[in-house]
Amino acid sequence: MSMSERKLTPDLFRPANLDSNKAEEISKPSLSFWQDAFRRLKQNKGAMLGLFAIVFIIIFSLIAPTLTKYGIDDQELMRSNLPPKVPGLEKIEFLGVNGVDIRGVNQYEMKSVPKDQYFWFGTDNLGRDQWTRVWKGTQISLYIAFLASAIELIIGVAYGGISAFYGGRTDDVMQRIVEILYGIPNLVVIILFIIILDPGILSITLALVITGWIGMSRIVRAQIISLKNREFVLASRTLGSTNGRLISKHLLPNTLGAIIVTSTFTIPGAIFFESFLSFIGLGIQPPVASLGSLIADGFRSIRIYPHLAIYPASVLCILMISFNLLGDGLRDALDPKMRR
Amino acid sequence: MLRYITQRILYMLLTLLVIATITFFLMKLLPGSPFNNQDKLTETQRYALNEKYGLNDPVPVQYINYITKLAQGDLGYTFQFDGRTVNSLIVNGMGPSATVGFEALLFGTIVGLLLGILAALRHNTFLDYGAMVIAVFGIAIPSFVFAGLLQYYIGVKLEWLPVAFWNGPEYHILPAFSLSVGVIATVARFMRTEMLEILGTDYILMARSKGVSKSSVIFKHSVRNSLIPIVTILGPMAIGLITGSLVIENIFAIPGIGEQFVKAIQVNDYPVIMGTTIFYSFLIVAIILIVDILYGIIDPRIRVAGGKS
Repeated sequence: MSMSERKLTPDLFRPANLDSNKAEEISKPSLSFWQDAFRRLKQNKGAMLGLFAIVFIIIFSLIAPTLTKYGIDDQELMRSNLPPKVPGLEKIEFLGVNGVDIRGVNQYEMKSVPKDQYFWFGTDNLGRDQWTRVWKGTQISLYIAFLASAIELIIGVAYGGISAFYGGRTDDVMQRIVEILYGIPNLVVIILFIIILDPGILSITLALVITGWIGMSRIVRAQIISLKNREFVLASRTLGSTNGRLISKHLLPNTLGAIIVTSTFTIPGAIFFESFLSFIGLGIQPPVASLGSLIADGFRSIRIYPHLAIYPASVLCILMISFNLLGDGLRDALDPKMRR
Repeated sequence: MLRYITQRILYMLLTLLVIATITFFLMKLLPGSPFNNQDKLTETQRYALNEKYGLNDPVPVQYINYITKLAQGDLGYTFQFDGRTVNSLIVNGMGPSATVGFEALLFGTIVGLLLGILAALRHNTFLDYGAMVIAVFGIAIPSFVFAGLLQYYIGVKLEWLPVAFWNGPEYHILPAFSLSVGVIATVARFMRTEMLEILGTDYILMARSKGVSKSSVIFKHSVRNSLIPIVTILGPMAIGLITGSLVIENIFAIPGIGEQFVKAIQVNDYPVIMGTTIFYSFLIVAIILIVDILYGIIDPRIRVAGGKS
């Protein structure tokens, strides 16, 4: 009740500033759409964590293989199936990186590996350094994912854009084709394509692209259809803009948010399918490795040598989670309406 | 509505024809023949085998034969075992595959719904964040990685459950659980968003202010209404289950369709590859069709003519 007891005297008030010149002044600097989106993204801890993890893994996958002196295909049967051993950390027993396998045998001593040789992630059944293979595999998985997403993006944007922009009969024909293709399960097409083309980096990318562009084209088409009848496009058209200018200055920049968000989700999708294919034996063929083929090889001997599967599986999981977190964050930041 | 359904069914048939055609010609392009590995065959024997399976006819004739038989539901003979039809292989494999898939779907939906509802009711609490962390992990981590880890820790290290094979109820737990993780994550996430939206509507406020009991508000008013849009994710979820079953069946050595498919790929058994492909496609296309029609019936606000969004 203290509020009502307080005396309200006129000297508590002072006239508001009625200067008409300053009434319209904006106190904060104006933010462009992208600055605003980035500000929102920065507030999302999960997304930033994901972004850092992705950048870290990309940089690390490029640097890491050069840290050891072993190549991806350096076989040495004398040192096969060694458990991980890391200099320094080997003293701490519970970390399990002291060269002792799950049965408590120090494989490094048993196989008389020189004292100064360390295999940070251990070696596989041919004595190849798992550290090099995991990071090279990460490189290849990422390469396939980025390449596939980039090609999907180009085809998807072009197809969806043309279909939406020209409309009418063009749109009709193009959408009937998409409708039929959309019904075909991508898993089936991808597997069939890999069987025909010899498994390899390019054929996997191609197989991913063949079904992947449809999703992007549908999203771009929906966006452009909703944009092309807006007033600002009409205004620009009235002022004599050419089609090319309309597309490059008005339609595409406004679709960019949706395109970026879709891409952040197609990349983990591509990583998943690549590792899935490698897992069922249709993916990357030896001696080259990808995360999926490493995991598949690792699972085959997981009872005796769990280290072979654990490390590539962890890298794959971290990558997938990071991309999903970043994608969620970007979606919230770029298009609050799409939230779901 | 009727016109829409007939139109969709026509599209479905057209899609299936395209799939069958693509599959057939891709198979014809494949290097290697199913009888190459059997070195002991003489030229005459190989010719006789090719003759028996109709592989000596010109490709267009083979194509016409294939499509006519397909229209009658006949997928041809497998090359691996003498005289066995692809249909019988698929029928044999369907039991385990459908069982695992159904168990995963049931378990995943129930757990996912509970998680989603709890997360929405305890919005912005520890429970909510926990449920969403589970959801992100479930969506991001591939089911085969999860299955392998489960198999190792629970099957091999702890020896609580059998590592693989298909000999009784306890053999179902690990594969069904690994498959259901994706379902749990998708359903939980979806349910949470829907519930949050509905809990913020005026009619929930109205029901509360009328003095309707808490459980009635939650179950009669919010949950029932949030369940409607969940029909839309059934299609993608079913596709996810089928994709997952391919590897899960291989990891756990379950004698299902997925395992046969992968085996057929490795031994160039064309009819089985084609048959299974078409079977899977049919399944997926049919599920998407049913889901779309269901959605139109359940929620009249959806303009069916607008198509999938």
